Amino acid sequence: MDFSGAFSWVNIRFLLEGLWVTVQVAGISIVLSFIIGGLIGLVRFAKIPYLSKIVGLYVEVIRNLPLLLIIFFTYFALPQIGIRFDIFWSAIVALTIFESAMLSEIIRGGLNAVPNGQMEAARSTGLSYGQGLWYILIPQGLKKMLPPIVSQFIALIKDTSLAVIIALPEVTHHAKIIYGQSTNYVLPMFVAMTLLYFLVCYALSLVAKQLELRFK
Amino acid sequence: MRKKLTYFLTMCLFLFTLTGCMKQNIAEQDIVERIEKEPTITWGVKIDTKLFGLYNIEKSEIEGFDIDIAKELTKRILGPKGKAEFVEVTSKTRIPLLKNGNIDGIIATMTITDERKQVVDFSDVYFEAGQSLLVKKGSTIQSIKDLNADTTVLAVKGSTSATNIRKAAPDAKILELENYAEAYTALKSGQGDAVTTDNAILYGMASEDSNYEVVGGIFTDEPYGIAINKNQEAFVKEIDQALAEMKADGTYQKIYQKWLPDATNEAK
Repeated sequence: MDFSGAFSWVNIRFLLEGLWVTVQVAGISIVLSFIIGGLIGLVRFAKIPYLSKIVGLYVEVIRNLPLLLIIFFTYFALPQIGIRFDIFWSAIVALTIFESAMLSEIIRGGLNAVPNGQMEAARSTGLSYGQGLWYILIPQGLKKMLPPIVSQFIALIKDTSLAVIIALPEVTHHAKIIYGQSTNYVLPMFVAMTLLYFLVCYALSLVAKQLELRFK
Repeated sequence: MRKKLTYFLTMCLFLFTLTGCMKQNIAEQDIVERIEKEPTITWGVKIDTKLFGLYNIEKSEIEGFDIDIAKELTKRILGPKGKAEFVEVTSKTRIPLLKNGNIDGIIATMTITDERKQVVDFSDVYFEAGQSLLVKKGSTIQSIKDLNADTTVLAVKGSTSATNIRKAAPDAKILELENYAEAYTALKSGQGDAVTTDNAILYGMASEDSNYEVVGGIFTDEPYGIAINKNQEAFVKEIDQALAEMKADGTYQKIYQKWLPDATNEAK
């Protein structure tokens, strides 16, 4: 088999364009799901009457649905009730909905792992509940949360490939088009994808390791 | 527990009423009326299928038989100022996209079937396709009759070809793959003995590698049609008319010859 044509400059550039979309979608989803997941985790931890139960229900429902279903839902079902996103934003919305539910559980778990006495001590020194959370509990919890959060972000990057089903022009999709030109390109493209996904995810875990060191 | 259940049921009820009340405005608009005001037709096409719709990376545009037919139809329906826009579809997304009004018509190697006719309307046949077999040269399989319990046939998920081969060769083992390229690779790596799908796509694969050939002729009749949403009779009529004109003045034959010279020789 002849593999040489697979890595022509045109093909590589096309593949990298796809990678850029993957990084953008993953990046925006990471930021949004971290903010939303953080808020949900805090609300559930603080046990606010009614509100905590409602967001708890959201987490339970979303966490137990396949991501693929949520992607289909945001792209095909939401337009029927008048909410229309393009492919790019459908993917981001679906990923954010799903990953924020996952992250909120990690954050709630991390906060729960901080001993009760910490909050009691904070309150007895005159800090409000909010201040206790912000200055005492969150910094301690974050250390414990960091490794699972990073794992979740890595999972998110890889999950972007599921959006190929709605034809998001990300790296897997572009690889498919390249090996559509010639079936000789299938194997080289799989190798290239393996490499690209690994590099992006590994870079993220290196950044996380630096962060962890700084916290210590 | 009971409280949770109540919340859940209320949310479900809320969602159902929401979906029930709102109407699909865009999909219900009459296309013919709309294109008089803004002369653009949006077609759903494949972009990973050789000969029919494949994205050319160097030129950054989609090329193929389906694409040329769509461009020609647009020109004839809208006049020289008309614009044809293309949206990528797959076998799984094309009907939902049509129903949601993202696209006006599907020209994406789509076979006309009675089942699909219940959901969408079809134009006249624009390509006479039929299922065939692609094998390595010198294979013991020379027609559909040679398929038995010892042979594995490779097909593509979600397409009519998988269903057809089950009927035509009930004994043969069937392996379903994600798309044509993957099925062809599986054939080359020995995971199966034959690839089955529409003949024209098989010709595309055979043109890549002279070690493989299409055998046994056509064993099904699977005409491709252009799918249009229901309640768009006027638009279907315009497409049929434009298609008839293309066939009458030879434009259609030119496009056919350009993309499918092999199929032209074998067919008649």
